[in-house]
Amino acid sequence: MTSLRWQPVTTLVLSILGVGVATYLTVTHFDKQALACVSNSTFNCEAVTTSPQSEILGIPVAMLGLAFFVPMIVLCLPVAWRTANRWVHLVRLAFSVVGVGMIVYLISAELFTIKAVCLWCSGVHLLTFLLFVVIVTSAPIVLAPGYGTESRA
Amino acid sequence: MAQDPPKNSGGGNTPKPGGNQPKSPAGQSAKERSRAQSRPVSGKAATKAPPARSTAKPKGASASRPAGSKGGNTPRPGRSASSAKPPRGLSGALIAWGVVGLVVVVVAVLVIVNVTSSSTKAANYTPVTPAPASVVKDVTTVPASVYNTVGITMPAAAHAGLPITLSKQPALTLSGKTPALFYFGAEYCPYCAAERWGIVTGLARFGTWSGLELTASSSTDVYPSTPTFSFRNATFTSPYVSFFPVENCTNIPDASNASCSGYTTLQTPTSQEQSVINKYSSPTYIPGATAGSVSFPFVDVDNKVLFSGATYSPQLLAGLTQAEIASHLTDPTNSVTQAVIGTANIVSASVCAGTKQQPAAVCTSKGVQAAAKALKLS
Repeated sequence: MTSLRWQPVTTLVLSILGVGVATYLTVTHFDKQALACVSNSTFNCEAVTTSPQSEILGIPVAMLGLAFFVPMIVLCLPVAWRTANRWVHLVRLAFSVVGVGMIVYLISAELFTIKAVCLWCSGVHLLTFLLFVVIVTSAPIVLAPGYGTESRA
Repeated sequence: MAQDPPKNSGGGNTPKPGGNQPKSPAGQSAKERSRAQSRPVSGKAATKAPPARSTAKPKGASASRPAGSKGGNTPRPGRSASSAKPPRGLSGALIAWGVVGLVVVVVAVLVIVNVTSSSTKAANYTPVTPAPASVVKDVTTVPASVYNTVGITMPAAAHAGLPITLSKQPALTLSGKTPALFYFGAEYCPYCAAERWGIVTGLARFGTWSGLELTASSSTDVYPSTPTFSFRNATFTSPYVSFFPVENCTNIPDASNASCSGYTTLQTPTSQEQSVINKYSSPTYIPGATAGSVSFPFVDVDNKVLFSGATYSPQLLAGLTQAEIASHLTDPTNSVTQAVIGTANIVSASVCAGTKQQPAAVCTSKGVQAAAKALKLS
């Protein structure tokens, strides 16, 4: 059976980077002076991070990003990738699908409602998308019957 | 290290009983027969196989196969090659990559639609038109209760900061009139667009507006097309304070006009007004300001309070019309109203500092007092 080689490390690194950027955006949500970003007719982080779309049900989107990446670090630990417990792999897959759905919504909000793009947010979007690519393409392997039991046989 | 398959192991490498099993040569032990019928697990195993095994090759097996070749996917003797299944996970991988491709396509479509729609309206600008009487009425007759309820409460995410309070400066006199409120801005400027709402509603408590017009900030700058008024033809009449507006630039693009950041020039300040700009729009009075340049909007309220930039983010007004903004000004819980009226109270408190707290009904009101306290004017 095909095994995973680079995927666990890659997703773990992407998740850690995601926590870093999401933490920065969370800080700047509350302290706008800390926001360092290009500002022109296309890119404007302040416009995005102060927009009504920067909060969902009163929760800053940046904090939702943290709530996405922190569990993702745990789910992307090598031991979690090796486990035979299908639920771990299903939860990781579900998280990545929700994450990419969220970035599609946020990108459309930036382009059509806010009419400005936040470069830091785009960084988070890219990390989320790359996580999605690795996790989804690894799904057929980790969700195959018998995955994770070979090393113990 | 290659090993013989376990006796009871299942899977594809165990010969099936019956069927097209080849006949074993006479004299072979059961173990040797089993080895002969089993495909090698790896090329290495096949290489290490005893020479006798080569004689046990079943009929129908390829005689030309090299000894070291891998045989894992080779059809069994008697089986048709066309009946072999594709490797497990291939269809799953295709679906996975298909999903990834779908996401890429969706994002690409969003970007293309946005770029296409932006390019078609890039050269547009919002013309200046007379403000409808209903809009003027809404912004100039905001109930006192709304001013008092809002105070300086503003949406935290949109609050950009308070203006600068000056001390020990002579009262501002322009064209022989004092106290005076000097506004220096531009129609393309989104921060001016946001601040005008507070200036119009704040000053409305001290006098009467006429000649107000509607427009919007640049469609290609930050906070594009922020809805607003224009002061280019506006007149404000008041027994308490005089208003001197200068709309330096339009929102009409003119790439050749560097003095207006790529827009056409509209009005220029008088020498007296230019002196005010030169003196107060400087690092001496505005921290972070660059000597010799002005950040729009620059507002000097009787040399007592300086506004440099907007009090709240223009983003709050995105997607709204002037009529919508104006009609919401009776709702103190509305975030746009809070930003506009909060700014209005700050403007009013600044004016009151120069009018010796007149009119008292305005200057001693709860909302204005809250602003005065925040500005350290009281």
